[in-house]
Amino acid sequence: MDVNLINPILVAFADVLPQIGFQKIEKKNISLVGSTFKYDGVLINLAVVGSLKGVILIGMNIDSAKRFASKMMMGMEVTDFDSLAQSAVSEMGNMVCANACTQFSKIGIDGMDISPPTLMIGQGGQATLPVAQTIVINFLVDNIDVKIYVGLV
Amino acid sequence: MSIKVMIVDDSPFSRMMIGEALSEGGYEVVGEADSIDSLIETYNSCKPDIVTMDIAMPGADGFECSRELRINDPKAKIILCSSMKDEESETEAKRIGVSGYIQKPIDAENLIKIIKNIMSPDSLFEQLMARGLETFNEALAQSFIRMTKTPVTFKPIGNSDAPYISQGITTVIGIIGQSTGTMIMDLSAETADKIAEAILRRPAKNQGELLAMVSEFANIIAGIGCSMLNKKEKAFALRVSPPSLFHGNTAEIISPSVKIQKSLAETNFGSVFLGVGFKKGTMLWM
Repeated sequence: MDVNLINPILVAFADVLPQIGFQKIEKKNISLVGSTFKYDGVLINLAVVGSLKGVILIGMNIDSAKRFASKMMMGMEVTDFDSLAQSAVSEMGNMVCANACTQFSKIGIDGMDISPPTLMIGQGGQATLPVAQTIVINFLVDNIDVKIYVGLV
Repeated sequence: MSIKVMIVDDSPFSRMMIGEALSEGGYEVVGEADSIDSLIETYNSCKPDIVTMDIAMPGADGFECSRELRINDPKAKIILCSSMKDEESETEAKRIGVSGYIQKPIDAENLIKIIKNIMSPDSLFEQLMARGLETFNEALAQSFIRMTKTPVTFKPIGNSDAPYISQGITTVIGIIGQSTGTMIMDLSAETADKIAEAILRRPAKNQGELLAMVSEFANIIAGIGCSMLNKKEKAFALRVSPPSLFHGNTAEIISPSVKIQKSLAETNFGSVFLGVGFKKGTMLWM
């Protein structure tokens, strides 16, 4: 596992989340999976082009995604994961990944750029990333489970 | 009213050449500076719409001068003009927030095109929106016919904002360039099986092979589509990310920040959904 791939993303996540209303950001664990893995709920896909290429995905189950969006909207009630909630979490994905690009450039990995976010919402689906191994970082953010999948080479 | 340009370059010859290119294009050269010393004063007194900036200058270089200019006026629109154009300089330029980058020797036509695009940034985006889906459809048709020797027709589908529901296998490819965007290709596992069989002349051995075929197919479409667009307008500078695949269920696909234009390719093997969308960008590179 290449620490250089993880640290900028950890720093970005810890930097951005407090700015959008979260207080307690805990990194639970980091693991490696293959190129294909299961997901349930919401996956935010942000493609990356530059000296590192691939994708960063942020995943949550639907319940967590609703709670996450609610927090971002200052506690507003989110009963459905509707377009406003979708827009909120995808904006978070955008901010975290843009910040990660800045963090990468600080350690000399320059010129990275991200695409606009695409959301996949479904149950029991699988994702296959363009890398042999995907790094999965499990976070607990104000008691909401959030996974970050890093598929960069 | 003509657009006012200021030239920053230590070489009188370069200033003359750039000045002539600008005059020919109908632009007014309102000021010149040969170093950081007179830079801000000249800028503030002549109030140009655009500044052309040399990089290699004695003392403060073009990056430092650009930084100073952007501190003095955060809205300053700067075009870097340099014989160097490597990844490092481009990254630095992006970090500073310059609007364009052109390589020396300067081609008058290119310089004018960049200025036009900077002064009306929406026009480039509108061109991309107007040509985007049509070009990707053409890329799909070309590659599909070449790979399977069978025809494709396109069925228009409404551009409603209703979320699209995957038929089974979705490929998402990010597009980066002057504007950033996304290409989404979606088809059922059954259609993918039949296409794989037509291309491989035998059924796919397993799901891995099938998915590899789908992702490569999407990759080819995105690559060809972006090259075709770049050929029409170099300033698009589009590049594609490797594909992500989502499969095994019927997920909703949503791009909250981008309006996706959609089409449905009807093939002998089933239908293939193609969605393309772009977001406005601010950088112009030649």
